Amino acid sequence: MKLLKLTEQLGLVSYRNQSKSEIKPHIEVDTSICNSVCPHKCTTYVCPANCYTMDEEGQVHFQVEDCIECGTCMYACDQGAVSWNYPDPEIGRGVTWNYG
Amino acid sequence: MDEKFDCIIVGAGVAGLAAAMELARSDMKFLLIEKGEFAGSKNVSGGVLWGHDLDRLVPEYWKEEDGGWERFINHRRLTFMDGESAFSVDFKSSHFNEPPYSGVVVLRSKFDRWLAGKVEEAIADSAHPMDSFIATNIKVDEVLMEGGRATGIRTGEEEFHADSVIIAEGVNNLLTRQVGLQDDYVPADHMLTGIKEVIRFEQSVLEDRFQLNGRSGMSNEFLGYATNGVEGGGFLYTNRETVSVGLVLGLKDLREKEQKPYDILNHFKSHPAVADMLRGGEVVEYSAHVVSSGDKRVMPRKLYTGGLLVCGEAANLLLNAGKAIQGMDFAMRSGILAAETIVKAKEKDDYGEQAMSAYRSALDDSYVMKDINSFQDAVHMLHAPEMFSDVPNLVCDFGRSFFTIDNSPTRKSRKMMADAVREHSSWWDLFKLGIRGAKSL
Repeated sequence: MKLLKLTEQLGLVSYRNQSKSEIKPHIEVDTSICNSVCPHKCTTYVCPANCYTMDEEGQVHFQVEDCIECGTCMYACDQGAVSWNYPDPEIGRGVTWNYG
Repeated sequence: MDEKFDCIIVGAGVAGLAAAMELARSDMKFLLIEKGEFAGSKNVSGGVLWGHDLDRLVPEYWKEEDGGWERFINHRRLTFMDGESAFSVDFKSSHFNEPPYSGVVVLRSKFDRWLAGKVEEAIADSAHPMDSFIATNIKVDEVLMEGGRATGIRTGEEEFHADSVIIAEGVNNLLTRQVGLQDDYVPADHMLTGIKEVIRFEQSVLEDRFQLNGRSGMSNEFLGYATNGVEGGGFLYTNRETVSVGLVLGLKDLREKEQKPYDILNHFKSHPAVADMLRGGEVVEYSAHVVSSGDKRVMPRKLYTGGLLVCGEAANLLLNAGKAIQGMDFAMRSGILAAETIVKAKEKDDYGEQAMSAYRSALDDSYVMKDINSFQDAVHMLHAPEMFSDVPNLVCDFGRSFFTIDNSPTRKSRKMMADAVREHSSWWDLFKLGIRGAKSL
């Protein structure tokens, strides 16, 4: 069968409240830690939704939009850069599984 | 709302719903809070629900034409794989065709919602049909504590009060950490990331391909090539019109080996044996969730305090000892036991820490902790590197020579085995592994 690219896989995920303007990221990442002391920058490859990316200069960036709330980064980051939480159903966006 | 509940349950997953069902049947006033827009909307599992506790919760659940479950399992398969081969231990038996089934496949978004409906029915039949609720779309920010005792929860500006709180928030147990039962930071050592695709087929294709009959189904676990050298394993379960295909990957190992979970999933799906099973299917959902390994070292240091109990995966109750991945059954039983503890506490009007400790004793006496305790060695062994590389490679190498017929003199299988062992391991290592295996299982 056809293998999907991550963007195609994430395209199948249902999120709610995507367009709300007051959206606040439910996960906060202190990327200054990623970009100074972190020896592995592992979030850029372990995150199943690729919310953590690395630019050409090797700098880590975080964007919450595709987050599927799995928790991987909370355990994988051993440098204290990740403050993890669930999105607030009232304001944030969040994943709603059709199958689960 | 001024009224105080007997209990507030956080999380409408399997554990929370099981607790709610027991509380409703015992005529308790409770509030079950779920952050998703409906029960199950935020939940992901492999997922097979093992055992007979579902029958206890929803008697004769199988009689419902369109119940929340997908298929019952009468076909189990464990597959060792290398790059080209798949060597399976395969067991199918009509012995498993009769209810109560020993395992049913579920999709949580459907199953949990269905189970929540059953809880609603139990609430309607209880003595407090207007005082117990399932409330969705609410995120609990804090468990309120007073003098070492839980007194309710806070969500935003709003507070709800109760004599007791059951935390059934799942593996990412922020509230359990907040009340101090587990450290704020849990390291990756004994945690895994589960990653999954749900793939749809025409039902007749699915039934023909997997030899399904009516509502029968198959569970297949994979060791070796599936995880591309990362600690963990693969799974494939048949649903009604879809299959759930995925991996559980050791988080620490993933970090150290610098691999991307979605790349490994495609690697797994590309294996010739797996590709043949999935041909023609259409991916309809991609999901991921952290899962604990079953190693006791990751459990919260305590599962109770005054007025408060922790159950299901929030308590890291999960076990993969190689026989089956069990977690939802543990969640169900622990939820039931937690509710029973709360019912007794209400009878005596004592929700103190001592009274709550009865939950831990009940859990220790149940199959949940008995199995977690007796299979710790198996958990450690399953996560040893040789189990996801050397052993599957050896088994497949042996299989290839054993099943090859090329019209030259065939060696005895003992010689073939010796060659396979020399290639991938040693008799001494296998002997040690065998002893460990025999002891642990």
